[in-house]
Amino acid sequence: MASGDIKGFYRQKKKHQKGGISKSVSASASKKKKPSKSGGGATLGATDPQTPALFAHGAFDLTDDYGEDEERLRQFDMDMRYGPCIGLTRLQRWERASSMGLHPPADLRNLLTRASGPKSPDLECLWEGRV
Amino acid sequence: MKVDVEMGGGSPKLLERKQAVYRNLDERYEIHGETYKGQQYSHIYFTRLHYMRNLLYSLVPKWKPNLPVNTVLGLEEEKECIIVGTIYKHMKLKPSILDEYSKERSKVPLAKPHNFVHPDDHLILEDESGRVKLAGSLLDPSAFVTGIVVAVHGKETSEGKFFVLDMLEAGLPPQIDQPPSSTEDKYVVFVSGLSIGSSTFNPLQFQLLVDHITGHLGDENEQTFASQIVHFIIAGNSVQILQGLLNGQTIAPRDQSTLTEPIKELDILLNQLAAAMPVDIMPGPSDPANFSLPQQPLNRCLFPGASAYNTFISCTNPHQFELDDIQFLGTSGQNIDDLFKYSEAKNKLEFMERTLRWRHLVPTAPNTLGCYPFTDKDPFLVESCPHVYFVGNQDKYETTLLQGSDNQSVRLICIPKFCETGVAVMLNLRNLECHSLSFSTGLNV
Repeated sequence: MASGDIKGFYRQKKKHQKGGISKSVSASASKKKKPSKSGGGATLGATDPQTPALFAHGAFDLTDDYGEDEERLRQFDMDMRYGPCIGLTRLQRWERASSMGLHPPADLRNLLTRASGPKSPDLECLWEGRV
Repeated sequence: MKVDVEMGGGSPKLLERKQAVYRNLDERYEIHGETYKGQQYSHIYFTRLHYMRNLLYSLVPKWKPNLPVNTVLGLEEEKECIIVGTIYKHMKLKPSILDEYSKERSKVPLAKPHNFVHPDDHLILEDESGRVKLAGSLLDPSAFVTGIVVAVHGKETSEGKFFVLDMLEAGLPPQIDQPPSSTEDKYVVFVSGLSIGSSTFNPLQFQLLVDHITGHLGDENEQTFASQIVHFIIAGNSVQILQGLLNGQTIAPRDQSTLTEPIKELDILLNQLAAAMPVDIMPGPSDPANFSLPQQPLNRCLFPGASAYNTFISCTNPHQFELDDIQFLGTSGQNIDDLFKYSEAKNKLEFMERTLRWRHLVPTAPNTLGCYPFTDKDPFLVESCPHVYFVGNQDKYETTLLQGSDNQSVRLICIPKFCETGVAVMLNLRNLECHSLSFSTGLNV
């Protein structure tokens, strides 16, 4: 999918845009009030002439462009056993769960500590900057 | 530790002040460089529920061994089971910030009642999965407050409420064994509510106290008695600054001294005390410290004279320490005063007993009493039972010895406000017996 191109073009990070207008270089990003990952179907205000829908064989790609690691971390955020996720970074929440004896999966911690590069999962929880 | 040398009456006899080994355990109440990142209170409730629930799960098999333990969402109708959760008390009269915006403003009484208990209050049990109303006449809502974690045995009714058949509190925590009683008497003096700067403060009265315990008053017997005092605790509300000065308006330079006078006066008195014996000062609701619990120690810059002594220790509120291996735990009164506003008991000592049985020092925080939104711990959980539990700024001096089911024995002390009563409390470390020291400056005896 050409959405890989668009993702590199926008480079949006949630934590810089807590509900405000972002300072990102891309013009269409500055029109949006809420940060959102690019490449999701027919995004409003997108200046890209070719929407990804044309490349997804006619079906809208409704999943945001994040990897399997991010999906696992989102499941970790939503898991009730480890307590509320808002207000803590994912790593802090993992450390808290670990010290409370809840045995969170150890590989999640590796994902969070090794985070680097454009494909890395977000260090903040799913709702950071959105609520 | 400085050893103070007192001169006896006319003869040059030297009386040495006794000493006790002191260990400050306030670290759990100190905010070590925590930065507030906008988190809410859900975390503190989560850690509280998690700790208490694990505790209660370990006690449930001994209490009712054959019943299943469920979460609130897993309740089935007419099936007896046990659920563990945090109590929320719905109170009709509890003041809400939203009342200011209500359309029917006349309904809100202008004079606030001291106690918000109402016969219509009801209890709700809550855990991460959901909440359920507690029905039945076993639990009297006036004895409970929001924020405590209990286990209840009962069954769900057709209305969706949980009919309570029995309830289990955590009970007194385990206690470290008291050291074998020594042969000598050593005393600790507690005082609170000095309120220097208020209209009720009588400088002569406090000066009498200071002179008495530093050994400058009385004959040889009195001085011998005073030399057995090993520690002095001030449990909050040492200063009171005129409310009118604190409303945000700029104060004229000539009035600025009224802000600092009380603290300077306190420093002079603390100087005399610190020169004689170890002094612990705790902040209270009217002291220049942070508002929300745990209150951080009063800044040493406020006491330029007294802080030069290594016997002067500025402590947190709540305050936890050890003297000769006897565990002490105490607050400046906010926890008990808040319980008094939102629940009923026959006296303040009963509130104190309840906080120990619930194993939580300030159950109403953060609901009605401000506290810092910790994310990874709840520092007010009482993990080990103290030997002495004191609360300052109460109306009168009360004390009792509380016995637990597991051989625990706690001396509960309510320290009265010194500015109103002139009473300080003395505790004998040998046998944990308490008596009051009363000072009066009235001319009519």
